[in-house]
This record gives sequence, C-alpha cells and structure tokens, in this order.
Amino acid sequence: MRKMLALMTGGGTLFGGASLAHANGWNMPVGVTDLSAEIYTLHMTIFWICVVIGIVVFGVMFYSLFKFRRSKGAKSAHFHENTTVEVIWTAVPLLILVGMAVPATATLQKMYDASDAELDVMITGQQWRWRYEYLGEDVAFNSNMSTPRAQITGEEERGEHYLLEVDEPLVLPINRKVRFLLTADDVIHSWWVPDFAVKQDTIPGFINENWVRINEPGIYRGQCAELCGMDHGFMPIVVHAMEEDEFDQWLVERKEAAEAEAMGVDREWEMDELMERGEQVYGSICASCHQADGGGSPPAFPGLAGNQELIDDVDWHIDVVLNGVSGTAMPAFRSNLNPVELAAVVTYSRNAWGNDTGDAVQPAEIVELLE
Amino acid sequence: MWGVIKSVLAAFFGVQKERQRRHDFEHGKPGAFILVGLLMAVVFVVVIAALAIYVAG
Repeated sequence: MRKMLALMTGGGTLFGGASLAHANGWNMPVGVTDLSAEIYTLHMTIFWICVVIGIVVFGVMFYSLFKFRRSKGAKSAHFHENTTVEVIWTAVPLLILVGMAVPATATLQKMYDASDAELDVMITGQQWRWRYEYLGEDVAFNSNMSTPRAQITGEEERGEHYLLEVDEPLVLPINRKVRFLLTADDVIHSWWVPDFAVKQDTIPGFINENWVRINEPGIYRGQCAELCGMDHGFMPIVVHAMEEDEFDQWLVERKEAAEAEAMGVDREWEMDELMERGEQVYGSICASCHQADGGGSPPAFPGLAGNQELIDDVDWHIDVVLNGVSGTAMPAFRSNLNPVELAAVVTYSRNAWGNDTGDAVQPAEIVELLE
Repeated sequence: MWGVIKSVLAAFFGVQKERQRRHDFEHGKPGAFILVGLLMAVVFVVVIAALAIYVAG
C-alpha cells in the first residue's frame, strides 16, 4: 500500500513537473510551505484514485460493449435484483470516500491551527488595495498595484509581472509561524497566494484566521480571489519572504521610519516637501479613481483638476478626504493614512494640475481634526 | 422488532432484499418504521459526534 501511494504521488510529481512551485502551469503549485506540499500530495493522491476508478469503470464498460455486442449473438440477461452486487457497489465507494476523508481531515486540522504564531499580521482588503499591519510593531502600510496604466490600455509593452506587481510588498520572515488576521473595509475580498496554499475570504465585520510558515526566501505573488468591483483584477498580492535576521532588520528600519514620520507631525512643513510627499500618496491611493492627471472618470469619480468646489473650500476638501462621502465610492481615509500623508495629499491636490490655490495644509491641522 | 431494526439499517445503507421489502409493506406498521428510523438517526449522529470528539482528543 505504501509503495503504491509513493508511486501514485511520484507519478503526480511527474505529471505536474512543469509547474513545480509555480502557479503558471497546468497543475496547482507544490508551494513553499510544508502545508502546501501536503495539500499538493493530497490533491495528487485523490487525483490518481479518480484516474484508477475512471479506468476500471470505463474499462469494464467498453470491454462489455465490445465483447457482448449483438452482432456476435449476445443475449441480454433479465433479472431484477442482486443483493450481493448492490452491497458491494455501495460499500466500495463508501470505503474509498472514508479512505480519502481521513488524510484530508488531518490536513484540514493543521490548516485551522493558527496557535503559537510568532508574528501577527492584520490583512485588510479595500477597494482596491491591501493594507498590512504588523500587530504590536507599529508598522502598517498600503500595498497598491504598481503596473502603469499605459500597460493596461495597451500604449506600452506589458512588463514581466504585468498586474502582479505592487509598490510595497508584504515582507515576511522564513521559518517562523506567521498568523494572518484577515478582514475587509468595504466588500468581500479574498487573499490568495497559491505558493502558500492560502486562499482566505476577507469579510467586513469579521476576522478570519490563517497562517503560514515559509521554507524558502523569495517573491511570491497572488491576487484577490473574490469579485470585489471595478478594479478587482488590479489589487495583486506580492509577498517578499526574507531570511530571519534580514526581516528583523527590515522591521526595525520600518519602525524607525514610522517614528520619524510621527515626530514630523508637530513641525511646520514646507510647500515643496508636502507636494513631493503628496504626489507619492496621490499616485498610490487616489490615482486609481481620480486619475494621475486629476481628470477623474465622471460621473462616478469626479475630476479634481479645476474642480471649483474643491478650490473654494479647503475645509470641505479635508472633510471629504478624512471622512469619505457616504453613498459614493469615496472611502474615509482617516485611519488608513497618517496625518502627514493626509496633509500632503490634500495640499498636493489643491496645488497640482493648475489648481494653484497656494494652500499648504499642515499635518498639525489634521491631527486636531482627527481628535 | 428486530426485523424492523434490520429493515431500517438496510434503508440507511440503501440496499434491501425484494422479499423483505414486500414482507414489510404487507405486514409492517408505518409508525414503527418511522419511530425506529428517527431513533436510529439520533443514535447515528451521537455515535459520529462521539467518534469525532474521541479522535480529536
């Protein structure tokens, strides 16, 4: 039996050989975690069981059709029941199903056991980006698709990682158990990375759990797997798995950067600084709807360039960015961006594309409004 | 009584002898089969649950 199982899974590896650890083949990837390899083995075992059943059933059927054909003088038998045969064809599938359910349940139990994690990462799905928060570490950022619009509209050649590249990947350590806490801000999304064998719905108002322990450093890519609106195809996932010490260093650097930015809240910012930071924030957060040139896509996404309402009323402008507009696609950004980013992005959209209001909104003003 | 239990078990499994089926339909009371069927369904669920709890430790 063991020999047979080894043969079957061995055959499976051969069958899916071209796609080893990659999502672009015909088969599911083996992946880079113990659990993903186990799921792959399970998948191939069940696949070969199905192949054997198929060969036996269709073999008997076609053999009978051929051997006992009418032109050779075969006569059909007339009988009503045969309890022995009925018992056998009921019991055999039952045993096969139980035989598959036992290892499948054992794997499921491991998948659901998110206890004893060394790192907790909160993953929030938003239309249309992912937000990653390293719980207890004061590090959080948004991860936006970085494929240029021109590649999507066909004005430029598509890059190597077309639609599967982001401005800031999720960074994780290898050899550590990482627990994911998954939720969403607006509609249901699904965080899916084939190489981890993780596909978990993120649901507003619920927190789902999943976990991963990556064996090999590398870049792993995935996509949102639950239709979530216009840019569903434009919110990819990129995970950068690092050696443990490299990750610790990265985390310290990110923490220091976050602290430095928090300190910057109190000081007066120059117009140039705000514009530079604002352009960056606008590009990653706002441009997917309001467009890089501020033209928007009316009527759903109003243009900001030359928008008289925006130019005339700075308080209204800040309120819209902080709190969103109910009944429209404009979300509230008060908890997704820090005060510096909020001040910078408002300043940028008040001065770019010929808006030229000259208003420099200070982070300190935003802090007051947030309290 | 034992005959009713055997017939209910056969129904759970999905296979019954034609002779026994005729006998049940001609001589059995429907109420007995329904009652035994419900009771054994409860027993089945309890056994499965106990097994799952035992295996999960």
